[in-house]
Amino acid sequence: MSDPAPRKWEHRLRITLWVLIVPPTSWAAHFLFSYLWAAISCAKTGHFATMPWLFIGGTVLALAVIALAGWVAWHQSRTPGDPPPHQESTRIDRLRFLATATLLLAALSTVGVIFTALPVVFLRECT
Amino acid sequence: MRYAILLACLLAAACNTHQSALAPFGVEAGETRTLTLVMALAALGLAAITFALYFRAVRAPEGSLSHKGGMKLVLWMGAIVPTVLLAGLLLYALPAMRPMDSAPGDLEIRVEGEQFWWRVIYNPQDTQGRLVDANEIRIPTGRTVVFTLAAHDVVHSFWIPGLAGKMDMIPGRENRLVVKATKPGRYRGVCAELCGLAHALMAFEVVAMEPVAFDSWLAEQRTGTAAPPKDSRGARLFAREGCGACHAIRGTEHTGQIGPDLTRYAHRRSLGAGTLEPTLTNTAAFIRAPQDLKPGARMPTYTDLSREEALAIARYLKGRE
Amino acid sequence: MSLHDQDDPALRCAQEERLRAVWAAPKGIFLKWTDCNNDAVGAWYVLTGFVFMLFAGVLGLLMRAQLAVPENDLIGPATFNQLFTLHGSMMMFLFAVPMFEAVSIILLPQLLGARDLPFPRLSAFGYWSFLLGGVFVGGSILFNAAPDGGWFMYPPLTTRTDLSGIGADIWMLGLSFIEVSSIAAAVELIVGVLKCRPPGMRLNLMPLYAWYILVVAVMILFAFPPLIAGDVLFEMERLLNWPFFDATRGGDPLLWQHLFWIFGHPEVYIVFLPSIALFAMLVPTFARRHLLGYPWIVLAAVGTAFLSFGLWVHHMFTTGLPKISLGFFSAASEAVTIPTAVQIFVFIATLWAGRVNWSTPLLYATGSLGVFVIGGLTGVMVAVAPFDWQAHDTYFVVAHLHYVLIGGTLLPLFAGLYYYWPLITGKKLSDRLGRLAFWILFAGVNLCFFPMHLSGLMGMPRRVFTYPEELGLGDLNMASTAGAFLFAAGVAVICLDMCLSPRRPLANRNPWNAGTLEWLAHPQDEHWGIRSIPLIESRYPIWDQPDFMRKVDEGRYFLPDAEEGRRETIVTSVIDARPLAVIRLGTPAWVPMLTAFALGSVFILTTYHLYGLALIGSVLTLACVVWWLWTGTAEIPEKPFKPIGHGLELPLYISGRSAPGWWAMFITMMADATAFSGLVFGYYFFWTRHETFPPMALADGPGWFWPMVALLAGGVSWLLTLAARSANSRGATGAMALLLTGAMLAALGSGAAGLAGPWLSGLNPEAHSYPAIVWTLTLWTVAHAGLAVIMQAYVLARGLAGRMTARHDADIRNVTLFMHFFVLSVVVTYATIGLFPEVS
Repeated sequence: MSDPAPRKWEHRLRITLWVLIVPPTSWAAHFLFSYLWAAISCAKTGHFATMPWLFIGGTVLALAVIALAGWVAWHQSRTPGDPPPHQESTRIDRLRFLATATLLLAALSTVGVIFTALPVVFLRECT
Repeated sequence: MRYAILLACLLAAACNTHQSALAPFGVEAGETRTLTLVMALAALGLAAITFALYFRAVRAPEGSLSHKGGMKLVLWMGAIVPTVLLAGLLLYALPAMRPMDSAPGDLEIRVEGEQFWWRVIYNPQDTQGRLVDANEIRIPTGRTVVFTLAAHDVVHSFWIPGLAGKMDMIPGRENRLVVKATKPGRYRGVCAELCGLAHALMAFEVVAMEPVAFDSWLAEQRTGTAAPPKDSRGARLFAREGCGACHAIRGTEHTGQIGPDLTRYAHRRSLGAGTLEPTLTNTAAFIRAPQDLKPGARMPTYTDLSREEALAIARYLKGRE
Repeated sequence: MSLHDQDDPALRCAQEERLRAVWAAPKGIFLKWTDCNNDAVGAWYVLTGFVFMLFAGVLGLLMRAQLAVPENDLIGPATFNQLFTLHGSMMMFLFAVPMFEAVSIILLPQLLGARDLPFPRLSAFGYWSFLLGGVFVGGSILFNAAPDGGWFMYPPLTTRTDLSGIGADIWMLGLSFIEVSSIAAAVELIVGVLKCRPPGMRLNLMPLYAWYILVVAVMILFAFPPLIAGDVLFEMERLLNWPFFDATRGGDPLLWQHLFWIFGHPEVYIVFLPSIALFAMLVPTFARRHLLGYPWIVLAAVGTAFLSFGLWVHHMFTTGLPKISLGFFSAASEAVTIPTAVQIFVFIATLWAGRVNWSTPLLYATGSLGVFVIGGLTGVMVAVAPFDWQAHDTYFVVAHLHYVLIGGTLLPLFAGLYYYWPLITGKKLSDRLGRLAFWILFAGVNLCFFPMHLSGLMGMPRRVFTYPEELGLGDLNMASTAGAFLFAAGVAVICLDMCLSPRRPLANRNPWNAGTLEWLAHPQDEHWGIRSIPLIESRYPIWDQPDFMRKVDEGRYFLPDAEEGRRETIVTSVIDARPLAVIRLGTPAWVPMLTAFALGSVFILTTYHLYGLALIGSVLTLACVVWWLWTGTAEIPEKPFKPIGHGLELPLYISGRSAPGWWAMFITMMADATAFSGLVFGYYFFWTRHETFPPMALADGPGWFWPMVALLAGGVSWLLTLAARSANSRGATGAMALLLTGAMLAALGSGAAGLAGPWLSGLNPEAHSYPAIVWTLTLWTVAHAGLAVIMQAYVLARGLAGRMTARHDADIRNVTLFMHFFVLSVVVTYATIGLFPEVS
C-alpha cells in the first residue's frame, strides 16, 4: 500500500517501539536527575538544593520532550482509517495503535513528572 | 466480621495500650493514627466500589456496554479518578513528612543499638549532664525530645509504636528522630530490623513522665545516689568474676562499656532487654547461662558460678543486701 | 489462499511423517534428558518450580505453627531465621520468577505460531542451572546451613563472618547462579517475541501475553544485574575482606540496600505482570469478545515497567535518607497505581461488554483480583512515608505483600493452571474440585493475612520467632495460623485434582472456545509445535479468520514440511513481522546440561572456598561454551535459500541486526552493562559518603597514567576489531587475521595496563572502601578484556577453519557488538578511576 505524500515532519516521523518509550524514558531521566541532584546536594552541602533553577529547567525540559512525543503521537493516531480498535494487519492500523499507546504513555509520564516535582514544592528537608 | 474486629480494636483504642500504633501517646503517632484511619476508610470505600462494578460487569447482558462506553469507563475509573485521588493524597502526605521542629535546648537522648540491647545516653554532648543507662528510656511529656540513633555492630531499628514511627540504627550513620510525648505512662519499644538470633528479644521500656517529675528524676540520677552498696558478697563476686570489664555501675570501679550499664538494674522492669521478669531467680539464672534464656545473647556463660553465688550477685544488683 | 499441493492427503501425510521424525523427542532413560524442545523443557521447569513452591510453603507452615501462640518453644530462633529467609528467597527466586519463565517457555511459541523459541538449547541450559541452583539453596536447610539473614540479607549482619555462617554464601552464590539462568531466559523470551512472530502479526496484533512477556523480560534485564553487582561486592567482602559495607573502613551498609532494592522493587512487578498477562488471555475467552482497550494494556505494561524502577527507596523510608528523597519515591509509588488501576478497569469493561461464561478459571481470576485490590490499596497506604514509618518491618507489611503476591501471582497462576491444563494434557481439571479448592484458598488467604494488618499496627515486628503474651496478639496470630493451614488444604485439593487428571477423559480441542493461536495445539500434542506457520490477520485468528484451524492443520500456510530433516522456524521483522529468514534450531544435546553443571560447580565450589577446584570448573565451563558455540551456532547452510510455500523463498543464513543471535548478544550486553553501572554507582556512592574523596591517606589512587594507557589500548582493540570486520566482508581473510591478532594484543595490553594502575600505586583493597571499589571496577573491566581476547581468538579460528566467510559473518558481527560495549566500559572505568580524583 502506498502512503499519501507526507506533508509535515510530524507525519513523516514514523512511530516505532523506540518512540513509544520516549515519554517514559523522559520521566525516568527526570526522576533520576531529581533524585541524584537532591541526594548529592544533601550529602555534600547538608542542605537542600543549591541550584533550584537547575531543577526547574530539568522539569520543563522533560515535560517539553513528553509533550513533543505526545503531539507527534496525537497527529499520527488521527491518520485516516477505520475507527478503533486498530486491529487490522495493515501498516496504518499498526501505526495508529503505536501512536495511541505513545499518546497514553505521554499522558502517564506527564502525571509522573508532575508528581515527582511536587516534593520540591511541598517538602524541602534534607534531614 | 473482620471489619468488626478492626472497629472494636480501634474503638477500644487497640487491644494493648503500651506497644501499639493504634494507642498513641505522642504527637507524631497520634497524627499517623488519624492518617491511618482516613486511608483505611478510603481504601475500604474504593475496594467496595471496585467490587461492585466488577459484579455489575459480570451480570450485565452482552452488549450493555459499547466500545466507546467501555473506553470511557477505563479512562475515568482507571485513569482520571485514581490520578486525582492520588494527587490529593500526595498533597496531604508530603507536608506530613516534615520532621518535627526542634530547638538547640531540647533534651537530647542518644540511643545505640547493640546485639541485643539498648545503650541510652542522656545529654551526650554535655559532660556535666551526661547520664548512661540501658534498656529503659525516660522522657518528659509535653517537651520536644531529640533522639540520636546509632549502632556499631549490625543494623537495628528503633521503634516505639505509641510515640512515633520507627527509625533505623545503621553502623557508620547517625539518624535523628524528634518526638513529643503527650500522655504519661509506661510503654514499650522494640527492635524492628532483623539483627540476629535474639532479634525478637530486644525490647525496652519507655517511661513518659510529667516534666517536673522527669527533671527531678534526672537530677537525682546525676547525684549518683542510686548506686548499690559497694561492699558485700555480691559486690565481691561481681568484681572477682570480672563483670566490670563489660558492665558499668556508677560510683564503683566498674566502668565496662561492652554490656548494658547496671547502675539502675534494681529499678528496671525487665531483664535481658525485655525478655524476662527481673526476679532474683531469673537474674541469677541469666548470670549463669544467658543463652538458655535469651538465645544469641553475647554475654558469656558463668556456669562455674554456683547457684548461690549467682544469687548473691543478683541480690547485689537488685540492691537487696 | 488455496495451494493445490496441499490438497493431496498423501503429500500431507508424508510431510507429517518428516516433521514428526525431525521433532521426535530423544528416547531412553538417559537420553530423554538431553531434550530441548520447549514442551519438554517447559514442563520440567513448571514442575520443578511447583515443587519448590510446595517446599517453601511447608516452611511457611512451620513458621505459622511456631507463632500460633505467644512464647511458644516449638522452633528455636536459629531454625526460625532460616525458615523465613528461605521461605521468602525460594518463593521469589525459585518459584515466582522461574515459574513465569517456565510458563512462557511452554506458551510463547504456541502463541506466536513458532515451532520453538529461537534458542532451545539456551532454555535447556536455563532449566538445568535452575534445578541445580534451586536444590543447592533449598536443600541447605536440611543440613541446618540455610541462610538466616532475611530474604534481603542486610549487611553487616550477613557480611560479618563471625555473625553469619556458610548460609550467607549459599544464598549469594546459589542465587547468583539462578539469576544467570533468569537472564538467559529473558534473552530467549525477548528475542522470541521480537523476532519469531508469524508473518502478518504486526505489533498491533500481538497477543497481550506476548506484550507482557516482552516488558517483563526487559525488566529482568535491568533489574537483576544490579543485584548481581551487589552480589559481587557482597562476596568480595565475605571471601576477600574488601570492606564495601563495613563502616569502620569507609564502607556503608546502605549501598547494599540500594542495590538490592533497585532489583527488589521491579522484582515485585516482574512476578505480578505475567499473571495479569494470563488474565489478558482468559478474560476475553470467558467474556466471549475481544479485549477492550488493547493500547491501554500496552500503556499499563510499559508504564508499570518504567515506574517500577523509581520505587526502590520506599523500602528504605526508615533509613534516615533526606526527606526530599523520600518525597520523590513516595510520589512515584503513588503514580504506579494508575497503570494498575487501568488494567483492572480494562478487565471490568471487557466483562461488562461481553457475555460472561462463569467458568472455574474466571472464578480464580475474580478471586485473585479481589485479593490483589486489597493488597494494592494497602500498597498505596505504605507508599505514604509517615504511615510507612509505623508499618515498615511489621506484620502490616507481611499482610500487604502476601495480599499482593497471592492475589497477583499465586492465585492467577492457579487460574492459568485450570485454563491451560487442557492445552498441556488434553484433559480438563475438575470443576467441582477446582471450585472447592478456590473457596478454601480464598477463605484461607483472608483468614491468614487480614489479621496481620492489625497485629502489625499493634506492635508486632516482622521476623520475630516469638512475641510476649502481654501484647494481646495471641488471638490474631492463632487466626493467621489457622488460615495458613486452611490455605495449605486448598493447595492440597488442587494437587489431588491434578493427580486424578490421568483418569479423566480427553477434552475437545480448544475446549474453552478461545480465539488465540495457542489453542491450535492438539490434545495429543505433536512435538512440532504447529503444523504450518499461519499468516495472521487478526488479534483472535481462531475466531476471526475463516477456516483457520483447518488450514493450519492441513499445512496450507508457511513451512509445512521439513525436507532437509532440520528443525526450523521463521524469523520475521520486529515491527511488522515481515518474513526475513528461516533459521535452524538447536537439537537435543548434552552440552546445555554439561555447561550448566560446570558453571554451577564454579559457584558451589566457591561457596566452600575450594578455589582450585572452582578454577578447574571455570575452565570446563569455558570449554563447554566454546564447544557449544563451535558445533551448534552460525552454521553455514547447504543452500542459500529455501521455499516456504506460497512462492516465498527465504534465506537460511542471516547476520547482523536482523538476526536473532545479534539480538541475543545485544540483550545480554545490556544486562552486562547494567551490572557494570551498578558497580559505577557504588564508586560515586562512596564519593557522596566521604568528605574528601579519595580519602586523604590514599589521595593518589591509581594515578591517571596507567588508566589512560588502558583506555587507549582498549580503544585500539575496538577499532582493530571493526577493521577486521570490514576486512572479512571484503573477503580478505589474511588482513582479518592480522587485524584480529593486533586487536587481541591491544586487549591484553589494556588489561595489563588496567591492573598496573592500582597495583603499582599499592592500593590495598582490604584497607578501605575506596581502594576496594577501584580494584573491583578495574577487575571487572580487565575480565571483559579477557573475554574480548577469547572472542577474538574464537572468531579468528572460525575464519581460518572456513566456518566464517565474507557472507556468513555472524560471528564477527556479534563480537563487534560485544566490543562496542567493551569500549564503553573501558572509557567509563578508566575515566572514573583515573580522572575523577583529579577533578573532584
